[in-house]
Parts: sequence; structure tokens; C-alpha cells
Amino acid sequence: MLVLGIETSCDETAAAVVEDGRIVRSSVVSSQVDLHAQFGGVVPEVASRAHVDLIVPVVADALGEAGVELADLDAVAATHGPGLAGALLVGVSAAKALALVGGLPYVGVNHLEAHLYAGWLEHPDMEPPLAVLLVSGGHTMLVAVDGPGAYRVLGQTVDDAAGEAFDKVARFLGLGYPGGPVIDRLARTGDPGAIPFPRAMPGEIDCSFSGLKTAVVQHVRANPDVVVADVAASFQEAVVDQLVEKLAITADATDATTLVLGGGVAANSRLRERTAALAAATGRAVFLPPLALCTDNAAMIAAAATYRLGADGPTPLDTGVDPGLGLV
Amino acid sequence: MLVLAFDTATDVVSVAIGRDGQPLGMLQLESGREHAERLVPAIASLVADTGVALDQLAAVAVGVGPGRFTGLRVGVTTAKVMAQALRVPVVGIGTLDLVAYPLRHTRRDVVAVVDARRREVFWARYRTVPGGLERVGAEAVDPPHELIAEIEATGVDVLVAGDGADRYRAELAAVDRVALAGPEFSAPSALALLELAQGRLEREEFTSPQALAPVYLRDSDAAINWERAQLRSPA
Ligand SMILES: [Zn+2]
Repeated sequence: MLVLGIETSCDETAAAVVEDGRIVRSSVVSSQVDLHAQFGGVVPEVASRAHVDLIVPVVADALGEAGVELADLDAVAATHGPGLAGALLVGVSAAKALALVGGLPYVGVNHLEAHLYAGWLEHPDMEPPLAVLLVSGGHTMLVAVDGPGAYRVLGQTVDDAAGEAFDKVARFLGLGYPGGPVIDRLARTGDPGAIPFPRAMPGEIDCSFSGLKTAVVQHVRANPDVVVADVAASFQEAVVDQLVEKLAITADATDATTLVLGGGVAANSRLRERTAALAAATGRAVFLPPLALCTDNAAMIAAAATYRLGADGPTPLDTGVDPGLGLV
Repeated sequence: MLVLAFDTATDVVSVAIGRDGQPLGMLQLESGREHAERLVPAIASLVADTGVALDQLAAVAVGVGPGRFTGLRVGVTTAKVMAQALRVPVVGIGTLDLVAYPLRHTRRDVVAVVDARRREVFWARYRTVPGGLERVGAEAVDPPHELIAEIEATGVDVLVAGDGADRYRAELAAVDRVALAGPEFSAPSALALLELAQGRLEREEFTSPQALAPVYLRDSDAAINWERAQLRSPA
């Protein structure tokens, strides 16, 4: 079973061919990050325009690298939510056009569910129940995965996504965009215990980052001579502390035997370190997907589509996009 | 030469399949904002009704705007990707041309007007020439009162058509020298697209699927500023 997946929900134009939901035959990601850097964040109209420009070469590259033609495929899938409406429409229109020409089933995929499938792509033998921390610039959620298609969202951010907090703090500190990698790098030279930033909502599974962002701003304004690396390290430690605490509560609440990270912020080195340490301390397995599978990609879309096609059949061609789609 | 033609730059989805510029079938539906829901099913049903096999198509033709960004992106993406998959050329024709072309038998100049929202219209003026219309000047985006000032400044009789003309009908009707086309001329026509595309194909004036792009006419800076303003003061 060969599935072409297309992902255009935010600022990556991506296409991939996946065999049997497990074997990545190709995975092409064209990032627009340079395009959005000048604005300090993703601008929806700019993203939508770029997807239109990039979709044809990205799909052609994905088919070419996999060494397959449209006629060899068994289905075509695209993210249909959640995400930016104008951006989602490009991938969905492309997938439907290919489905029509190839006489193939179309599968509309939930981007959040696809992030959960990124794990199975790398570790096909990963056994539920899983406790998953899905954390990126667009989402921050704690999910219990009881099996394929069986998810419970136990907690999520009540304000900003964690990735958004990284971007905002980096912008405030004049470090550039995107904020995650630059803070991660700078934090290695700073003292994570230098400034006692708050850890929000202790004991709960929901998270909050807007108070932390405000605390960073206030601290820097009150202490103009502060070492920026210490701010970065202390801020990052506060985010990671909060996330790891939520993951620990989720795992205990669900008897999960495996901890999993997903989403772009899962690329953060301190979060990976601390999650591995939590797993070791509590006798659980841990799965930290490679960076290329953490950030938005289309291999995870094709993998999720393979499961959804088997479970629900094709998505009708008169289905649109759902920018606010939830995981369950 | 079999051609599939569609335009999605307004609230109407217009689809036609034709041979050598003559229609074999046509579908026009009020789609509102649901172009992504409606376009591909409309193409599929027209293909079934006409008995045309997609792999017999010699080209895909599409209205490239200016128009509503969302609809435009659905249409242009669908055309690009279909043409690429079928390995045929794609022909992009301006949406204002598709509004004006059905009125080519008038003696007046034709002004095609597409609603651009935000109290503005996309528009262009055409004069009749043997065999069709020729655009006078560039396509533009302006508030309706500026369009009216431009019409008054030309000093010629004009026939105005398009959903933008419908929206500002009262203002336009008050202008000397302006006649308004009937509502059947409001939507960009896929039949006009078939005819105009045929000429382009005969002259081999087509684009590669990769190079085809929507005509936005508003730059994204304007869109950015507008989005920022919306964020600051949600309507
Ligand atoms: Zn994502």
C-alpha cells in the first residue's frame, strides 16, 4: 500500500510517499521559515501564497525520490485541519486534484493525529498505552494513546503554545526567529537556576505560558544588565519543568508504559534530556522521534492516512478544511 | 483539442469541458466560500456527464484572478496539480477577461468589475476589436468612487458587468454613460474561458504548471497590514 501525503497546515510545504504506513520512501519538506523571519512569526497570507508556489515541485520531488508515479499509488492524503485555513486549502486542493486524475481515494488527515503517528513510523513496535506530549508553535497537549485511533486529551495549554512562548521571548530578547533553536543553543552557555521564573499550574495537567513570558519581560526590564544566556536558560528550564511535570502526571494517570514526544518543540535538547531522565526514573520506555519527524512533515500524514483509510475508508471529495479541528 | 476550464475567483464556481473551444458540457454553481468542497466534485460530475476521459485532455485552463484569494488559490492549485499529473500545459486567463468577453458584441466599452471586499473592486476596461475585446490600460483595485471617476474621465459610453458591478449597482447606475449588464453576466464564465484558451493554445501561449500563479493585485504587505489590523480590532 503506497500513500502520498501532503502537508500545508502552517509554514512547511511537504509531501511524502509512505509504504504500508511504516516505510518512508520519500519525505520532502520545503520550509518557509526564512520568508516569515522578517515578520517574527508566521503570516497566514504569506504562507498561503508560498504554498501555491511550492506545491507542484514539492509533490514532484516526493514522487521522484520515491521512484513512483501517480499510477503506482493507492491513495492521496492531505492535512485538512487544524491549521491556517488558506494554507490548508492548498494541500487539500492538490490532493483532491491528484485523487481525481489518478482515480484514487482521497484521505483528509487530522494534523494532530498525524503527529502521534510520527512515533510509529520510527518505532513500529511501540506498544500502547502511551503518554504523549505534543508540543509545537501551534499546539501543546498531553494525550493518552490507548491504541490506534483511541486518544484522550488529558490536558492542554490554556493560553500560548510552548513554541509560541519560545518565539515571543526570543523576539523580546532580540534573538531572532524561530525562537526554539536559538534559545536552546544560547541556554547551553547560561545558568538554568539563575532566575527563579514561575512554573504555572502545578499538580494539574493543563499548562500555561503567558505568565512566564510576562515574568521574563519584567525581569529583564528591572535588570538591564542581566546575562541574556542566563535568561534563556532559566526561561527554558521553566518551560521544560512545566512540560515534564505534566507528562509525569499524564503517565501516572494512564498507566502508560511508554513516554513519547512529538511536535517541533520536541526538538529541544533540554526537553529530550529531561524526558529521557523521567522515563529512566520511573521505569518506562521512552521514544524521542528524530527531529525530521518531530517538526511538521508529510510522512506522518501518509502514515496516519494509511490507518484512517483502513478504519474509515476514503474521505468524500466534498469535504473541506477545518482550521479548528481537535484531536478527538 | 479537449480542454477542461474552470474559474473560482468569485463566489461562483464555473466549470466547462469543450473541444476546440466549443462546449461539451458546463456547470455553474453558487459556491460562496466553499470552493474546496465544490470544485473537484463539479469537475468529476462534468467529466462523467460528458463521457470524457481525463487522460484525453490536451490542456487545463483556469481563471487566474484577480478575485477572492481563497477561491483563487483553490482553482489555481487544482489546475496546476491536474496539469502536472496529466502532463499537459495549463492556460491561465485573467478573471476580468472572462467577465468581459461574453459582452464583446456591444458597441460600448466594457468595464469588468469583480468585488474585492473591503469596499474595493478589481476592474479593467476593454474596447471592442474585430473578433473580441482588447484591454485598455492595466487591471486595477480601487474603491468604487475611484472607478466611477475613471469612467467619467474617459468620456465614452461603457457597459459594466460583474459581481462588483452588482454590489455597487446604485452608485454606478447614477453615472451618465454607464449601462449595466444583466445578472446573467455577473459571474466569470467558463465558456468564455474555453474560447479564450483555445486561441492561446493554437498560438502555443501556455505556461508550465509550476510557473502558473494567481494574480492577486493586492500585494501581501497590504494583506499583512490588514490582518494585523483585524487582530488588533476583531470585527
Ligand atoms: Zn504540527
